[in-house]
Amino acid sequence: MALLQVDDLQTRFISRDLDNQVRVAKAINGVGFSLGRGEVLGLVGETGAGKSLTAQSMIGLLRPPAKVVDGLVEFDGRDLLSMDPGALNALRGNEIALVVQNPLTSLDPLTRIGDQLIRVHRAHRKVSVAQARERAIDMMAAVGIPAPERRMRAWPHELSGGMAQRVLIAMALINEPKLLIADEPTTGLDVTVQAQILDLLRDMVRRMDMAAIVITHDLGVVAHYCDRMAVMFAGAIVESGPVDSVFAGPAHPYTQALISATPERLALGSGAIVGGPPPDLYALPEGCHYRGRCPHAAEVCGSAPPDREIGAGQVARCHFAGNLPAAFQ
Amino acid sequence: MIVPLLVGILFFTFMLVRIGSQDPVGLLAGPTATQAEIDMITRDLGLDQPLFVQFSYYMTNVVQGDLGESWLSNRPVLSDILQRIPITLELLFWGVGIGALIAIPVGLHAAFRPGRAFDHVSRFLSLLGFSIPTYWLGLVMLFVFFYLLGWAPPGIGRIGLIVIPPEPITGSYLIDSLLQGSWEAARSAASHLVLPVICVAIVAAAPIIKHTRAIALEVVGSDSVRYARASGLPEAIVRRVVLRNSTVPVMTFVGTELTGLVGTVSLIEYVFAWGGLGQYGLNAIVAGDFAAVQGYVLALALFSVLVFLIIDLLVVILEPRASEQP
Amino acid sequence: MTEASLRPTRDAAGMPRALARIVGIARRSPTAAIGMAILTGFAGLAVFAPLVMPYDPIAAFPREILTAPNSEFWLGTDGNGMDVFSRVIYGARYAFGIAIPAVILSIVIGVPLGLWTGYVGGYVDEVTMRVFDALRVFPSIILALAVVAATGQSLVNVVLVIGVLDSPIFARVVRSEVLALRSSTFVESAIAAGNPTRRILFVHLLPNAIQGAMAQTAVRAAWAVRISATLAFLGVGIQAPTPEWGAMIRQGAEFMVTGQWWVALFPGIALILMVLGLNMLGDGLQDLLNPRRKA
Repeated sequence: MALLQVDDLQTRFISRDLDNQVRVAKAINGVGFSLGRGEVLGLVGETGAGKSLTAQSMIGLLRPPAKVVDGLVEFDGRDLLSMDPGALNALRGNEIALVVQNPLTSLDPLTRIGDQLIRVHRAHRKVSVAQARERAIDMMAAVGIPAPERRMRAWPHELSGGMAQRVLIAMALINEPKLLIADEPTTGLDVTVQAQILDLLRDMVRRMDMAAIVITHDLGVVAHYCDRMAVMFAGAIVESGPVDSVFAGPAHPYTQALISATPERLALGSGAIVGGPPPDLYALPEGCHYRGRCPHAAEVCGSAPPDREIGAGQVARCHFAGNLPAAFQ
Repeated sequence: MIVPLLVGILFFTFMLVRIGSQDPVGLLAGPTATQAEIDMITRDLGLDQPLFVQFSYYMTNVVQGDLGESWLSNRPVLSDILQRIPITLELLFWGVGIGALIAIPVGLHAAFRPGRAFDHVSRFLSLLGFSIPTYWLGLVMLFVFFYLLGWAPPGIGRIGLIVIPPEPITGSYLIDSLLQGSWEAARSAASHLVLPVICVAIVAAAPIIKHTRAIALEVVGSDSVRYARASGLPEAIVRRVVLRNSTVPVMTFVGTELTGLVGTVSLIEYVFAWGGLGQYGLNAIVAGDFAAVQGYVLALALFSVLVFLIIDLLVVILEPRASEQP
Repeated sequence: MTEASLRPTRDAAGMPRALARIVGIARRSPTAAIGMAILTGFAGLAVFAPLVMPYDPIAAFPREILTAPNSEFWLGTDGNGMDVFSRVIYGARYAFGIAIPAVILSIVIGVPLGLWTGYVGGYVDEVTMRVFDALRVFPSIILALAVVAATGQSLVNVVLVIGVLDSPIFARVVRSEVLALRSSTFVESAIAAGNPTRRILFVHLLPNAIQGAMAQTAVRAAWAVRISATLAFLGVGIQAPTPEWGAMIRQGAEFMVTGQWWVALFPGIALILMVLGLNMLGDGLQDLLNPRRKA
C-alpha cells in the first residue's frame, strides 16, 4: 500500500470583488498521485502552477481565502482532510516534515537555533531537555553543521542561507518523519550551496528510508534527485511517470516544451523557450487548459483531455499523448 | 544624531515666540511707554540683535538652565516646570499603564481570532476611543460621577481640600502618602486619581489596541510563525512565539504614542484642574506667557526624546539582531 | 476604466450597477459604509442648516437662559439663552468648513513635497525627513495650540496651522510610494526617453503614488475636526458665541458640575459622531485600498 494517496484534490480561492460578485480562482484542479515508502517524487511546473499549494492543501496549511473543496488525501491509512486540526498538527513536523524555501526568515528570530531544534523535538516526543539537546546536536552534526555544540547557541540572523537551510533540514528530520516535503529547498541559495543541500537531502532521505516530495521549477533537480516526477500546469498534473522515461519520451506538449527549454538543450540549439502567459485561474477555458499555448492544439482540445497511459507508469493528460511528433531526438 | 535633534528642538521653541504677531516689547512696556523706554526694553531683551545671535543667547541660557521668567507666576520657568513634572508623570504613569495593560491583551486576542465578534467589537471600541474628545469625556465623567452619583470628588486638584498632603518624596501624593502610612491622604489622593486616570487610559488604549492587533496579525502571517505551525508546534508555543516577536514593535509603538499622550494629558489636567505641567502649559499658551510656553514645549519635546532613547535601549536588550547594527 | 465600461450596466439580479457597487463596498467594509452614512447625514445638516434649524444659532432668548430640553428647545438653551439644537446643527458647517480646506492645504503642500524629496533623494530628502522627525517629538495638539496662539487667533489661521502641521503625513506617504516606484521600469524608461523632471513627477509618478495619500484623507480630516474643536475648547482660535462644537463645550464646561448637562453634552456627541464617521470611513478605505491588511 502506498504511504501517501492523493485523489482529485480541489482547492479554490474564494473572494468578493468591489462589485460584491463572488470570484473563484480554481487553483488546484483534481490533483492525484500516490507515493510509496522510500520513493522520491519531483513536483515540477512554472510559478503559479499550484505546486506549493498542493503541499499546503495536503497538510492543512492553507490560509484563507484558500480552501480545499474536494478530494482525498490519505497518509499512512489516515484521511488528512477530515482529520481534527489538533491531530493534524501533531502529525506535522513529526510524521510529515516540511523544508521551506526561505530558511532565514522561517526560523524564529528570537530563539537560538539549538532551542528551536529542542522545541520541535519535545513538541512531538516525550523526552527530557537533556535528551532533546543530545538529539539536536546529533542532528546538526548529521546535516553537516561544523562545531554543532557551539552552533546550538547561534541566533538565526548569524547564519548564512546555506547554513540556515541545513538547520531547517535538521529540524525536519529530528523526529524521523515518514514523509519529507521539500518546497523549493534551494531557490534562495548560491549555486554552489544548492548542490550541497540537494546532496544532503538525498543522502538523508536514503539513509532514513523516507518518502519525499521535492517541489521545484528546476528540471535539473528532478533529473538528479528524484525517482518519479509529476509535471503540473494550471493546478493539475499533466504528466507523471518515472523520471527516466519522462525525460526520454515526454508525451505532453507542455512537458516537451519544458524539457526542450532546459539550459543544456538551449545551448545545443535544439531547444525552444517555453512561451505564453499562465492561464487565468478565475476563468479557466473548457477542455485542455494548455490549449492556448499548445502548438498542436486542435478542435478536439475543447473537450477535457483523458489521462493516457504511455508506458510503464507514465501517464499524460492529452488527447494526442503518444501520437505527437517527437519534439527532439 | 541626538545633538542636531536637540538644537533643532531648541530652534523651534525659539522661533515659536518669534513667528508670532504679538509684540513682547509692547506688552512689557505698556501703552504709555515712550520711544526711549521701548528702545531700552528692546535692547534688554536682545531683540535688536540679528536672529542667530539671539538664538545663540537663547541656547546658552537654556543650557545653563535659564528658561526665563514666567509673567504669570513671576518665578523662573525652570523651577515652575521641575516642580510640576512629577504631578503630570503620576497621571501619565497610571493612565498609560492601565490603558496599555488592557489594550495589549485585547489587541492580541483580536489578532488571534480575526473576523470574529470579539475582533469587530474591539475594533469599533478602538475607533470610538479615537473619536472621543478627551476633555469632553472628563466633563461627562465629572457630571455623572461627581454631580449625579456623588461617588467622585469634584474635579479640583489632586487631594481633598481639608486633607493634609504628605511630605513630598516622589512627588506623587498617592505613593508618598502610602510611604508615610497616612491612609486618609492616600485614600483622598487615590479617589482624585480615578476619573482622570480612566480618561487617560481610554484615550491611550484606543490606538494601542489597533496597532497591537495590526502588529500581531503581521507576525502571525510571517514566515517564522507559519513555519512554526508547519512544524506542528502546539498552539500555546506558537502564541508565545507570536507574543515575543510582537513585543518590540508594540513597545516601540507605545513609546511613540507617549509623545501624543502628554498633549492629551495636558487637556485632562486642564479639565480636572490637576495643577501639573500640562495645566501650567495650557494656561501659559492661552495667556500668552511666552517664556513659560517655550519652557513647556521644550519640556514635552525633551520628554519624547528621553522616551525614544529608553525605547532604543530596551530594543537593544530584547532584540538579538539589534546589537549587530551600528 | 475601459474594462468597467465594457461590462454590463446591470448585474444578474437586475440591480443598477452603481447600487450594486455601493452594496458591494458596504458588504466588504461595513465600517466604511456606516462612516459614509454618518458623514452624509452631517453634510446634509451643514448644507440645509437654515431649513433644519428652528432658531438663529446666535439669537439669545434672555428669559430662556439654561432651559432644560423641552418641546420648544429640543436640546435646551445655553448660558446666553441660545438654542443648543440650532447651534449643534450649525456647528456642522464649521466642522466641514475647517476640515476640508485644512486637508486640501495639507495635500497641496505635502504631496508635491513628498514627490520631490522622494524623487530627488540625497541631501534634500535627508534634511526634510530629519525635520519631520524632529517635529514628531512635539505632541501635535500642543504644537497646533502654541502656533495658533503665537501667530494670531482667527478661523483662517486655525485652518492654515492645521493644514501646514499635517502636511508631513502626506509627504511621508507619497515619498515612500515614490521611492518604491522610482526604480521601476516604467519610470526608468520615462527618464531614458528624456522627459523633463516635472513631467515625470506629475504625469508618471503622481497618479501611481496618490492612492496611498487618498486613503489618508478621511483620517486626517478627523484629526482636523478634533484639533480645531480642541483649540476652540481652550478658547484659542474660535471664540464664543460662535456655534462651533468645541467652543460650545467650553461654554458648557462649568455647567457640567452644576447640573446643566445639555449645554456641553450635545455638541460633544455631535463632535464624536462626526469624528467617528470620518475615522470609520478612513479605516474602511484603508482596508479597501489595501487588501493585504485584512486577514
